[in-house]
Amino acid sequence: MRCHKVPSASVRAEKNRCARNCFLCPLCRNTLSVVPSDPPEPEDPRLSPIATSTIGEPPFFLYCNFCRWDSADVGIVFDKPTGLAVQLQKYEDSAPDTLEFERLKEHFEQFIRVSNAVASNHPTGSNHMNSITAAASSVLSRDIPGVAKYSGRKSKSDKHNNRDEVPPYRSRFEAGANGILGQGGGENDVSFLATLEDISEVQTLEQRSISKFSDNSVTVPSDLRPLRIPLHSKKSKRCPSCRHILIKPEQKAQSVKYKIKLVAVNYLPAITVTLPSFAPPAPTLDKLKRSLTAKQNPEDEKTGPFQMQAGKTYPFHIALTNPLYDLITVKLSVQRTAQPTGKRPAFAVSLPAAAFPIAAYAEAWEYEDDDEMFDNETDDIDELLEMRGLSPPEREVRAKTRNKTVGVLEKKANTTVIGGEVVIGKDGRGDVKFNMLVSYTYRSDDIGSSEVEGGASKTPKALALETKTFSFYTVVDLGVIVPKDESGSNI
Amino acid sequence: MPPIKDKFTIHSKAVVCQDVDLKGDITIGAGTVVHPKATILAIGPIVIGQNCIVEESAIIVNRRKEIMRIGDDNLFEIGCRVESPSIGNANTISTRARLHHTVRLTSYCVVGPGCLVAPIQDETFEDFTVVYGASSEYRLWSGRGKVQEMDLRRKHAEYLREMLPKFNRLRRGDNA
Ligand SMILES: [Zn+2]
Ligand SMILES: [Zn+2]
Ligand SMILES: [Zn+2]
Repeated sequence: MRCHKVPSASVRAEKNRCARNCFLCPLCRNTLSVVPSDPPEPEDPRLSPIATSTIGEPPFFLYCNFCRWDSADVGIVFDKPTGLAVQLQKYEDSAPDTLEFERLKEHFEQFIRVSNAVASNHPTGSNHMNSITAAASSVLSRDIPGVAKYSGRKSKSDKHNNRDEVPPYRSRFEAGANGILGQGGGENDVSFLATLEDISEVQTLEQRSISKFSDNSVTVPSDLRPLRIPLHSKKSKRCPSCRHILIKPEQKAQSVKYKIKLVAVNYLPAITVTLPSFAPPAPTLDKLKRSLTAKQNPEDEKTGPFQMQAGKTYPFHIALTNPLYDLITVKLSVQRTAQPTGKRPAFAVSLPAAAFPIAAYAEAWEYEDDDEMFDNETDDIDELLEMRGLSPPEREVRAKTRNKTVGVLEKKANTTVIGGEVVIGKDGRGDVKFNMLVSYTYRSDDIGSSEVEGGASKTPKALALETKTFSFYTVVDLGVIVPKDESGSNI
Repeated sequence: MPPIKDKFTIHSKAVVCQDVDLKGDITIGAGTVVHPKATILAIGPIVIGQNCIVEESAIIVNRRKEIMRIGDDNLFEIGCRVESPSIGNANTISTRARLHHTVRLTSYCVVGPGCLVAPIQDETFEDFTVVYGASSEYRLWSGRGKVQEMDLRRKHAEYLREMLPKFNRLRRGDNA
């Protein structure tokens, strides 16, 4: 996609598009490649190899590897594979819309020059006023012939009378005449649409909106043209409060990397939710066989939202992974939503009430999957906890909730899995989706660390000076409720 | 359902890695390459022609009793799942695409990455059918470029036949 670096001076002249050999597929927006024509087809194209001497022969055309559209479909071919933009220019320049636009520009050019001179004498002071918008607004506020004069305006237009002298514009063709000339629009489009049988015969709105302005009368896919790639700018972003650079992309046009990339997600615990009652089937032969013998149903490998039955209770797991080099203590709570009076909530969620620890991230864990080591580590974490002085009641609660549905289920390296439970109401309907507030606290050893200073919502909670607490909301989507009678039998 | 009886007929010029899941009556033609971790499950027999490429974690299934015939020069990309009762020649099934048993392919069809083809009624795609995009739209390819593409595919298979045996143990058929 990202193709070339374009000097800012030529951006406007090229109408914000890349002027080199970069084109997008008008059907699917994949990047088009220039390909030579096929050599003459051998007797059996699949068996005899093609002679290398016949490869790379003209005519060349633009080809989409994704949807297999090619420009020869619409009669655009090239003698050589270079300078395509120039070769295509003639199609673009002769388009009636382009000609009309050029004519308009010409018409207003003199006017813009005059108002430029005026504007330079009287700086407007507004950022939004450049010579073109000034000219446009001046024309718009001009008196319309045949319409009663707007008195409030009169004195002003008198003063700048010479500035407003723009001769009336005459278009190349009368509006609506395009259809007669076979350029789309007008009557032709009406009759085309009236006899339409399949919606795919018409360009989608998306296709039309990304087309150049000069394609605005095109409705039929056979009229699609390769699109010049719109230019993008690369922007750095700073923190609004401290001006620290948060992201800074690499300068090179082809690169998608960042020189600086401080994103919040690197500092927030990663959260994944699973429902043990709906474990996804692994694609093993055994499973395959089972699903095959059970039902010949295209839905058998459906991986859509989990279907939960009304009136039932489901346990779920939330795995939190700590990205920080420090131990964090996390507390989860469900946001209570206001219910309309007389309506019972569709479901109720229970989460462990007590805070729980997640061990620090350590690089070694990434490569180690020896279970024993994890067990040792968990012991260490318990010790660590005591050392760090988690309050005794908190520890007690943690011990109690062990081996239950709700509570801390598993601690493995820097991931802690906690269990929750959702009770679906008898008349529950809709999505099982709730907002969860995640608060986490950690003590950073190095006080000077500026890592998290730009964090999202910082709630200063003065446990100790070096303790930092952050909290954020996240949405947990467990699945959808199906009423008892409609529930699929495949659960 | 009676237990599936295994019978593997693998051509001596085929390259089938040891680490594949084969089940049922399967015939693999000359020059065809089956990568490790691919799955071929034949409740009814499956016959694969010449110079096909079956990539990692691709799954080919024949649910019916009749023979599932797959022609020559077909490419089954990583993680695709194909249950079409019949497939012609020179088709491309892209990564993670899924074809249900209600669709048959003729030749030079392209099913794009992640596309799901599951018509409710049985359907046969004519030559050069292309399925693409998030909503699995259909269109017909002009066929321009097919000679070069097939040339490339042949070289692709040739390279794999040379390289895969260097890093993988191969499976031989019952006939060998
Ligand atoms: Zn470019
Ligand atoms: Zn395309
Ligand atoms: Zn800041």
